[in-house]
Amino acid sequence: MSEATEKSTAAHAAAPAPKTAAPGQMTRGDFLWAGWSMLAAFFAASAAAGARYLFPNVTYEPSQIFNAGPVSGYDLGVSTKWLNEHRVWIVRTETGLYALWARCTHLGCTPNWFPDQNRFKCPCHGSNYTLAGDVIAGPAPIPLWRAKITVASTGDLIVDKGVLADQPPKRDQPPFFLPLASA
Amino acid sequence: MPIPDIETLKKEVIDSPVWRAVFRGGVWADTPRDRQAHISGNVWLHLHPAKVRPRALKWTYTWGLGGLAFALFLLLALSGVSLMFYYRPVPGLAFRDIKDLEYAVTLGKLLRNMHRWAAQAMVVAVIAHMVRVFLTGAYKRPREFNWGIGVLLLTLTLFLSFTGYLLPWDQLAIWAVTVGTNMAGATPFLGNAGPFGGLMGMHINNDVRFTMLGGTVVGGSALLRFYVLHCIAVPLLVGILLILHFWRVRKDSFSAAPYSANEPKVDVWPNLVKREYLAAVGLVIFIMVWALLQNAPLEIMANPNVTMNPAKAPWYFVGLQEMLVYFDPWIAGVLLPGMIAAGLIMVPYLDTNPKGVGYYAWGERPFANTMFLLGVTMWFTLITIGEFFRGPSYAWYWPWESWYGFKPAPPPTWSVFGPHGAAVLPIALGVAVLGALFTGGIFLPKLIQRELPGKKLLLGFLALVALVGLGGMAAHKLTGLQVGFLLFFCGMVFQFGFIMPQRHIRRLDWARYLVTMTLVVCMMGVWLKMCARLCFNIKYVLTVPAVSMNI
Amino acid sequence: MSYRKLFYAFNFALLAVFVTALVKDNDAQWKTYQRQYYDLMADHLTKQAAAETDPKKAADLRKSAAEYRRHPLAIKQIITDGLGRFDRCTTCHVGMDEYENPGLTTPFTQQPFAAHPDIAGLVKTHPFTKFGCTVCHQGQGLATTLADAHGWVENWDHPMLKGTAIQGSCVKCHGDFAALKGAQAAAEGEKLIHQHGCLGCHAIDGVGGTMSVDLGDIEDKPLERIAGYNFLRVRIDGKQLPLDHWNIQNWILGHLVDDPEQVTPNDPFAKMNTEPIAPSPMPDFSHELTREQAEDIVAYLSGMTKLEEVPYRDHVQGPAAREPRFSDPKAHGHYVFVKYGCAGCHGVDAKAGRRRFNALGPGQKPFDPKMTEAERFAEMEKGREPTLPDLMSGYSHEELVEKIEQGVPASAAKKWDPDGPMPVIYMPAWKGKISKPELDDLATWLLSIGKKQDLGF
Repeated sequence: MSEATEKSTAAHAAAPAPKTAAPGQMTRGDFLWAGWSMLAAFFAASAAAGARYLFPNVTYEPSQIFNAGPVSGYDLGVSTKWLNEHRVWIVRTETGLYALWARCTHLGCTPNWFPDQNRFKCPCHGSNYTLAGDVIAGPAPIPLWRAKITVASTGDLIVDKGVLADQPPKRDQPPFFLPLASA
Repeated sequence: MPIPDIETLKKEVIDSPVWRAVFRGGVWADTPRDRQAHISGNVWLHLHPAKVRPRALKWTYTWGLGGLAFALFLLLALSGVSLMFYYRPVPGLAFRDIKDLEYAVTLGKLLRNMHRWAAQAMVVAVIAHMVRVFLTGAYKRPREFNWGIGVLLLTLTLFLSFTGYLLPWDQLAIWAVTVGTNMAGATPFLGNAGPFGGLMGMHINNDVRFTMLGGTVVGGSALLRFYVLHCIAVPLLVGILLILHFWRVRKDSFSAAPYSANEPKVDVWPNLVKREYLAAVGLVIFIMVWALLQNAPLEIMANPNVTMNPAKAPWYFVGLQEMLVYFDPWIAGVLLPGMIAAGLIMVPYLDTNPKGVGYYAWGERPFANTMFLLGVTMWFTLITIGEFFRGPSYAWYWPWESWYGFKPAPPPTWSVFGPHGAAVLPIALGVAVLGALFTGGIFLPKLIQRELPGKKLLLGFLALVALVGLGGMAAHKLTGLQVGFLLFFCGMVFQFGFIMPQRHIRRLDWARYLVTMTLVVCMMGVWLKMCARLCFNIKYVLTVPAVSMNI
Repeated sequence: MSYRKLFYAFNFALLAVFVTALVKDNDAQWKTYQRQYYDLMADHLTKQAAAETDPKKAADLRKSAAEYRRHPLAIKQIITDGLGRFDRCTTCHVGMDEYENPGLTTPFTQQPFAAHPDIAGLVKTHPFTKFGCTVCHQGQGLATTLADAHGWVENWDHPMLKGTAIQGSCVKCHGDFAALKGAQAAAEGEKLIHQHGCLGCHAIDGVGGTMSVDLGDIEDKPLERIAGYNFLRVRIDGKQLPLDHWNIQNWILGHLVDDPEQVTPNDPFAKMNTEPIAPSPMPDFSHELTREQAEDIVAYLSGMTKLEEVPYRDHVQGPAAREPRFSDPKAHGHYVFVKYGCAGCHGVDAKAGRRRFNALGPGQKPFDPKMTEAERFAEMEKGREPTLPDLMSGYSHEELVEKIEQGVPASAAKKWDPDGPMPVIYMPAWKGKISKPELDDLATWLLSIGKKQDLGF
C-alpha cells in the first residue's frame, strides 16, 4: 500500500490493473470481484439466517397431541369433553370413533354442536356440518378435519392434531378412524 | 461462459437508468469531480466532507474510534431489534425468554452474545475516543460544544448499558440495578437517603428513585421502564445527539492538523471510505468471533431476597463501586460522577492553551494531559481493583488467591468530626478544618507567585511523611503496607494537587483558576479520604447525622 | 497488502466467521441424541422385521423403520399443567416421551434412550405429559445441552437429584408419603430425624426447637448463604467435594457423615475475632448413623421447600396427626422424650449426653493455662451435656418436673476454659411447650432409667 499516491490529489487515478497476469495468479480485478462476491454471499447468508431466526423452534401453544383417556369412555354421539382444552370433538358412531378438529374450515372459528339438529354450526359465517364433518350449508369449502387417533398399549386414545384428513376414503380409515364393534 | 470483466460489468450497472435514478452520477470516470460527487451525491456518504487532511487518514491519529463507536451503535441497534422479537419485559417471562434465546432459538445465542459484547466494546470505544480527542486537543475552539455533546453521549452510552443490564432479569441484573438506583436514592435533596432529603420531605415512595423504578423495589414496573428506556427513549436521544455530533464534525471539519503549510487535502472517496469499510468489517468479525468464543453471562433468576456473593456492578461501574467503599453514596454515586461529567464538559472553556490542536502534543500541554490522564488512570485502576482484587463479601482477594479462603473481619472504623457519640471531635471544628483545607488547597498555589523547586519540595515532603509513618510503625499503630499507602497518596496529592498547579496554572485568570482548582482539589480529596481509610481506619471525616450527610 | 486484497480478505473472513457461526448453531447437542434414538429405533425394527415370518407384518415394520430414519428432528417440550415448568428433557430422552414411545416400552437400556421405569404405577398416576420431569428430578428443564440440562453448571442452583434424594420430591406434595411405595428412604429419614432428636434444635415448619435453623425450607437455602471456606471443609467418604457437587444435599450429608465441627470449626481461640466463637454445636452423628441412614435423612429433607408453587389440587393430604395412646406411663414418657427431640442433646434413649464444647464433662483434666492449643481443644471437646440416668438419683418426681419446666439458662453454664467460648447449647425452659401430663410421664420414664447408685458426679 503506498500512502503517497493516495494522499496526492494528482495521483488519484490509480494505475490501471494489469490486464495480463500469469496463469493461476489473481489480478487486482479478480480480487475486487471475489471480494464483492464474498460480501454478497455474506448478505445472502445473513438474510437467510435472519429469516430462519424468525421461525421459532418451540412454541408455548398447547400440545398438538393429547391423551383422550380410555377408548371405552366414549358412548354413541358427540363428546365435547376435550373441546375446551384441546378444541376436539370425539365422535362415536355405530361403526367406530373419530376425532373432529373443532375449527371451521372456512376461516377458523369454532363451530357449535347442536344435538337437537344433529349439526355443527359455525357462528361466524353460518357454515353447517354433518356429524361426519361434511358441509351441508354455508361457505365452508371442505369438510371438518379429522385428527389422527391411535390407541396406546394402555388402552388410551392418543389424538394428534398434527396429522389431519378431511376427505373419504382417507378419513374413514385408520389412523383417522378407529373401527369399533357396535356400541 | 467466461467470467465477465468486472470493469465492464460495473460500467453496465452504473450506466443503467435504474442506477442513475437512485444514485445520480453516471459512468464512473474517476476524476476529482467524480470522487467528490460520489460523496455529496449519497445521503450516507454525505456525512463526510469531500476532502480531508492527510493526517485524518492516519490510523495512529484517530485509531478509527469514533467510527467504531458508531458502527457498534448500529450493530447494537440491529442485534437489539432482533432480540426484541423473542423478549417480553415481564419478570419471570423475561428470564425464560433469555433462556430460550440461549437454548431454543436459531442463532439466538449468537445474537445475544454479540449484543452483550458489542455493548461492552462500545463503552470501551467511546471512552477511548474521548481520550483520543482530549490528547489531540480536538476539543479546543471551535469544537468546544461538540466535546460537550460527546460527553453527554458517553454518559448516555453508560446509561444504555446500565438499563440493558436489567433486562435478562437474572441475579446480576436485579442487584446491579438495585445498587444503581439506590445511589439515585442518595441524591442530595431529591433522594430519600440523600443529604437534606429528609428535610425536603423525601420518602421511599416519592423520591427520584421511586420515579426511576415506578415502585419502591426493583420489580415488574422497573423492568418495563428500563425496557422502554433501553429500547426506545435512550437510543432515540443518542440518535438525535449523534446527528448533532456528526453535523458539528462536518461543519467544524476534522481536527487533524496539516503536516506542513499549504498541504493539499485528499479525497475522502475512496481513501477514507475504504478505511472505514475495512474497520467496520473488521469490527463485525471481531465481535462475532468474540461471541462465538465466549457466552454472555446469565446468573440464576432474579431473587430479591438473595444477593449473590460478591455482587459486582458491570465492569465500567466497578470503579464507582470501589469508590463506594470509601464514600457515602451521595458522594461516590452522585456528586463525583456529576463533577466528572460537568468538569469534562467545562474543560474546553478552562483550557486556554492555544497549542496542541490536531496532533498528539505531550510537551506542549503538560498540565491538561497529566490531569486528564491521571483521572482516567485512576478510574481504570479502581475498575481493575474492583474487578480482579475483590472477592466474597467484597473483601480484598489477590487474583491468584482462592475465593473460598477465610478472610478475617476488617478492623472497626471511627469518625473524626461529628456529634458527640458518633465521632471524636465536634462538628463545628470539622466544618472549619475541612473548609480551611479546601480553601487552602485551592488558593495556595496561586498565592505563591514564585516558581517553586518541585523536586526538592516533594522529596522533603515525602521525608516528612516517612518520618510520621515510621513513628506510627514504631508505635505499632501502622503496618508497613499502611505506611506505603501513606507515602503514595500524600506524595500524589502533593505533586499533583500543589506542585503541578503551582507551576502551570498560577497565572490563569481567577475564574478559570478557581474552577480548575476546585476540580483538582476534589480529586485530591478522594485520594486523601482513601488514604485516611486505608491507613487510619477513618470512616467519616465529618458526619452530620441530622441531615444524613457524611463526608 | 493492497486495499483490494484487504477488501477480499476481510470479506472472506466475514463470510467464514458467519458460516462458522451458522454451523456451530446448527450443530446442537440434542440433535445428535435425537438422531441416535431414531436410528436405534429403526435398527430395532429392521431386526424385528428380519425375524418376522408374516411378510405383511415384516413389510409394515420395514416401513416404520424407514420412517424413523427420516424422522425430522425437533425440540420437544412439555408444558406442565399449572406447575410452571417447561421441560425439554424429552428432546434427548426420546424414550421417555409418552407420545413418541406410548406405554414406555422401548427396549433400550442406555441413557438417554431408555424408557422411564414405571415405579409403583408412576406412569399412570403422574402422566409425564402433564407433570413434566423437573418437578420431581430438578435440573434445568429449559436447557438443551447435557451439562446445562442436568444442572451441573454454575448458574443453576438445583441440579438433578441423585439417588434416593429424589424421594424428597414425593414429600413435596404427598402428606402421606410414608405410606407410598417408592418413598421408603424418605419415610425412613423422617423417622430417623425424630429418633435422633434433630427436632430438639431444628424445627420443621415451626414444630421443634428454635436453637438452629428451621428445616422446613432447607432445600431453598441459597448456596450464597454458605461460606465457601465451610463448603471446602465438607468431607463425604473422606473426600473433599468437587465444585460442581456443591449443593444443598451434599451440605446436609456432610453434616451427617462427618463431625459438623470439621465443617464449621469457627474461632474457639479468638484468632480472627475479638471474641472466641465456639465451633458448630451440632452433635457428631457420624458414628451414630450409617451412610445409608444419613442419605435417608437427606432424601426426606430434599422435599423441604417453600418456593415450589405446587397447585393445591396436586397436594395429597397426609393422615391427620393423632397422638398415640399409651397405657404405660413409661412408654408414654419415652415417646415424649423422642417427640420433643430431647435425644438431640441427651442422646438416643438418654443413654449418653452429647458434646457441649468448652463445658464441663467427664474425664476432663483440670484447666491449665500452660496447655497448648491442641491440648486445650481436646479437653474442650470433652464437654458434655448431662447423661440423664447418672443424675436421676438426686431428684424427686416433682423436682425433676420443675427442673424441666424451668430449664437451665445459657448464662449458668460453667466453662472449662474461662477464656474460651461460651457453650452454645443450653436446656430451654419447657414450661408451656410440653403439657403437664406429658411432663409427668416423661419424669416417670426418666426416673425409671436412672442409675440407682450415687456416682457422686
